[in-house]
Amino acid sequence: MRSTTIEILFPRNLSEALSIFSDAKENLKIIAGGTDVVTGIQQESKRFIDTEVLVDINRIPEIKGIEVRKKKISVGAAETFSDILRNNLIQNELPLLWKACSSIGSVQIRNRATIAGNFVNNAPCADTVPVLLVYNATVEIESLSSKREISLQEFLQGPYKTQLNVNEIVTRINIPIPSKTFVGDFYKLGRRRAVSISRITLAVLMDMRGGIIDEIRIASGAVTPIGARLTGLEKFAEGKEVNDRFFKTLASKMGEEIIKITGLRWSSEYKLPVVQQMFYQLLKSIEQRSL
Amino acid sequence: MNKEFSVVGKRVIREDGFDKITGRAKFADDYKFDGMLYAVMLRIPSAHAKINSIDFSEIENNEAISAIITSADVPGIKKTGLIKNDQPIFCDEKVVTPGDVLAMLVGNSENELRNLVKKAKVDYTELPLITDPAKALDQEAILIHPDNGSNLIVNHHVKKGDVEKGFEKSDHILEQTYTTPLIEHAYIEPEAVTAIPLGFNGVKIIGSIQNPFTARRIVAAVINLPLDKVQIIQAHLGGSFGGKDDTMCILSARAAVAALKANCPVKIRYTREESILESYKRHPYIMNYKVGFSNSGKIIAMKINIIADGGAYASMSPFVTWRSVVQATGPYEIENVHTEVRAVYTNNPYTGAMRGFGSPQPIFANESLMDEIAIHLGISPVEIRKVNALKNGSITATGQKLENHDVNLIQVLDKAIYAADFQNKWRANKKEKPLTKEFDFNNPVLQDYQYVEPDKLIQKGIGLAVSYRGCSLGAEGIDTASAYLSIQNDGTVYLLSGLAENGQGMRTTFAIIAAEALGILPEQIFYLETDTSRIPDSGPTVASRSTLMGGGAVRNAAEILSGRLKKIVKEEFKLSEEDVVSFRENLVFSRKKGLTAKFSEVCKLAYSLGINLATIGYYKSPSVHWDEKSGHGDAYFTYVYGCQVAEVSVNIGTGEVYVNKITAVHDPGTVINKLGAEGQVYGGVTQGAGYALFEGITTEKGLIRELNFDQYLIPTSKDIDVIKPVFVEGKDSYGAWGAKSLGEPTLELTAAAISNAVRNAVGKRFFNLPLNLEEIVLGKKLCPQEVKRGSLQ
Repeated sequence: MRSTTIEILFPRNLSEALSIFSDAKENLKIIAGGTDVVTGIQQESKRFIDTEVLVDINRIPEIKGIEVRKKKISVGAAETFSDILRNNLIQNELPLLWKACSSIGSVQIRNRATIAGNFVNNAPCADTVPVLLVYNATVEIESLSSKREISLQEFLQGPYKTQLNVNEIVTRINIPIPSKTFVGDFYKLGRRRAVSISRITLAVLMDMRGGIIDEIRIASGAVTPIGARLTGLEKFAEGKEVNDRFFKTLASKMGEEIIKITGLRWSSEYKLPVVQQMFYQLLKSIEQRSL
Repeated sequence: MNKEFSVVGKRVIREDGFDKITGRAKFADDYKFDGMLYAVMLRIPSAHAKINSIDFSEIENNEAISAIITSADVPGIKKTGLIKNDQPIFCDEKVVTPGDVLAMLVGNSENELRNLVKKAKVDYTELPLITDPAKALDQEAILIHPDNGSNLIVNHHVKKGDVEKGFEKSDHILEQTYTTPLIEHAYIEPEAVTAIPLGFNGVKIIGSIQNPFTARRIVAAVINLPLDKVQIIQAHLGGSFGGKDDTMCILSARAAVAALKANCPVKIRYTREESILESYKRHPYIMNYKVGFSNSGKIIAMKINIIADGGAYASMSPFVTWRSVVQATGPYEIENVHTEVRAVYTNNPYTGAMRGFGSPQPIFANESLMDEIAIHLGISPVEIRKVNALKNGSITATGQKLENHDVNLIQVLDKAIYAADFQNKWRANKKEKPLTKEFDFNNPVLQDYQYVEPDKLIQKGIGLAVSYRGCSLGAEGIDTASAYLSIQNDGTVYLLSGLAENGQGMRTTFAIIAAEALGILPEQIFYLETDTSRIPDSGPTVASRSTLMGGGAVRNAAEILSGRLKKIVKEEFKLSEEDVVSFRENLVFSRKKGLTAKFSEVCKLAYSLGINLATIGYYKSPSVHWDEKSGHGDAYFTYVYGCQVAEVSVNIGTGEVYVNKITAVHDPGTVINKLGAEGQVYGGVTQGAGYALFEGITTEKGLIRELNFDQYLIPTSKDIDVIKPVFVEGKDSYGAWGAKSLGEPTLELTAAAISNAVRNAVGKRFFNLPLNLEEIVLGKKLCPQEVKRGSLQ
């Protein structure tokens, strides 16, 4: 429990917010839904131990809304998961994202938690990260003096580390609409069916032409130190013929890849066989549905 | 159901329902008083340590601190306990479990106190830890309470016939060991209590207290005042499940000590982390069962050896394990039985009363074993149970003859298997060999054969479990209850009992009973605030005894008053001596003359005649007896019976178990409130499913890993699909029209039924709860080496 009080600021637009951030120090943190920040403060997490100022970004119109911009769906950073789940565009064009959002927490959590909030702390178990990675999402970042757009993959640096500077804010997430030839799915394993921190997440997006894998994008969460694309696996798969045998080989290859990235941990004895098993099951169900 | 009832057996909405869902109900932490201070606990991160010194010099002059409370400030007994006085109010010599409190800071800013408490310097020496109960009685084991002479808390046994001879006569012998985990009650409201000093009148306490009279006894002893100087008021309680007893007694005592020293109201309220850290839990059991049986499935001998982890303090262990020793064979008539149950001290969180109270553990073992016997003999789980089931006139393991009530075990079993179509589904799902894959951690990359064909991934299974349960306290102690009833001259009524509303809907149940006896509506009855100064001590609200015992007292009170009213009616309306007066729908009837008056008119009349329309009803249980030496006796005066059928889907790739349906058939005697009874089933089954699949407190170096609900997982509404309650209302002469017990029976069976369903689904038996992901896939539990949460980085 903290003795110091925390000041909370409520900027009404982006430029107000950016000027607050312009001379910000490590003691300033952004808050939107608060599902990470509030519990983090209460639990005395190292990430928030020095926090003295919170900037509530819920009143900033520029970081809200879901719209199509240049064949991309642009999602405002402060859109809640409930907002996203109500959006037909997302449901039709980005079904993996819709599914990942629907698997998060509970209705109450989804009413508050935001999409950018899910990845700005770069927790390994962030449910939307594998999905956003296979969709090749990019992140728009602004400060008072600059504006940049980088891929989510670049943005995510290491466990609880990103490229975001203290004077910056993520404003939008832009997701290219994949061509209709892509099929895919999202998989989440938790210890129970709701309000569950993921043990394993997988996202696969695959373009098959005449039984041959033309392009495949594979990402994992919770089994790797951060949500990440498994590019070695993708390269291995491209140009290969789709059949049961190959799916098993690919799944076992994922096992090898994860051992390489993650090493062996207390949970590996369970997670390793299960991630291979469920990756295989995921590939089979995608194949089934695309027949 | 008796067709003559007008409100009993109907669906009545609980009287506190609207206040609770609209936020109007006042819980313990909602009470605030002028000048109120807070108290914050000082602990050390150790499960076993000798305290060398506590240095407050850095903070003792801080103006945020009104008082520092240590053991030296306790005017009365320094150690307490429900049965044995082994638990210090403040641990000044050593800590024996990580929840132990050394001292307390009192002041008006809780936040500041929580920071200041970190600046108290505690010098302590770590002592060797005992966390494995199986090693607690080893010769070289360090003594946790040296004055106890050993780490043994209690040893109960039951002996019937001669088990060794029984094994000789048996065609088959099976022996298995089962374990169950440490379970948190997980009530939604963490502990909160305020003590208010009343000068010469002692102290008044308002809190989330399950058993106000127990709290009064302990507070009075700790502050060294007579019972009448300690007034305990129960706030609305946000769940208890047996868990707001010892902890709340001790917190009440600490608050009282602080309030008297600071001469201000003092509140203690716990965060979830503190609640899980300090509160007692359900005992982990290690249970060895050896059973001998004939080719036809008749059990000839059963030998049971149980070690219960009592944790750091005795608490309710002697009684919890006593229920286990009485019921450990399950509801079966067995000629030769030898059961030994020992509860031991360890440095784990201490264990005490929790819904089930020593029954969920042996039922998991014993009902798993019954299925194994059936599988061994190639007969169905139904047949093995019918061959051995207790019936009217059967003799239990403790030598008690079951009579004077309907022994409805086979009836609930038949009803359940019919409702769930058990026999067909069980045969269809039965697996000859295990479907789960074996994994070699040295070769973690899967071979082709280890992949599961997609259509085999989800396996369905069905399983059942049955139980009998002794009602109320049995031979644990004196078993009486009282109820105060006062009829106003407009026909409305005040009601209060010495038992407590802990969320189970007791007030509504009692209002229905009084309304039935007086021929009025439950809404006309106002249930008064539970206050130890207003009503006789009725013992604790435990053991699923409130409907049975308190219900008996309420009926007694209502019948005393209705008798007085009937007498007036006869005199005033000049009815003949042999005429019969009855009350129905707020009206008064004479058998000969029909409608005679309104209920309210008769009440007014009684008032004008100076008739006393207030009384205390009383109910005392029939006598039971127990001979601890021989392990024999009529342990309980009556019993209830239940059968639950679980239907599950098991993902053999991930180990996920989804509960598709639980059919819960219970004989609680007469059902008083159908809605309340169904609520008990939904809640009990859900808790039982958590016990089966998710829950368990684990420790690393004696420190708890799961301190909040991000890690201690209980089921959500999405984890269980259908729960179907079915009631068989067996006849009984006790309580209010034969209404007995339901709260605990609903929980005790579920884990066993689910485990048997998983066996049916995957062809493999699991011996260790919970059946979580790792248990199903790997056949063992996995735990991180660190206690810390990942998200705290």
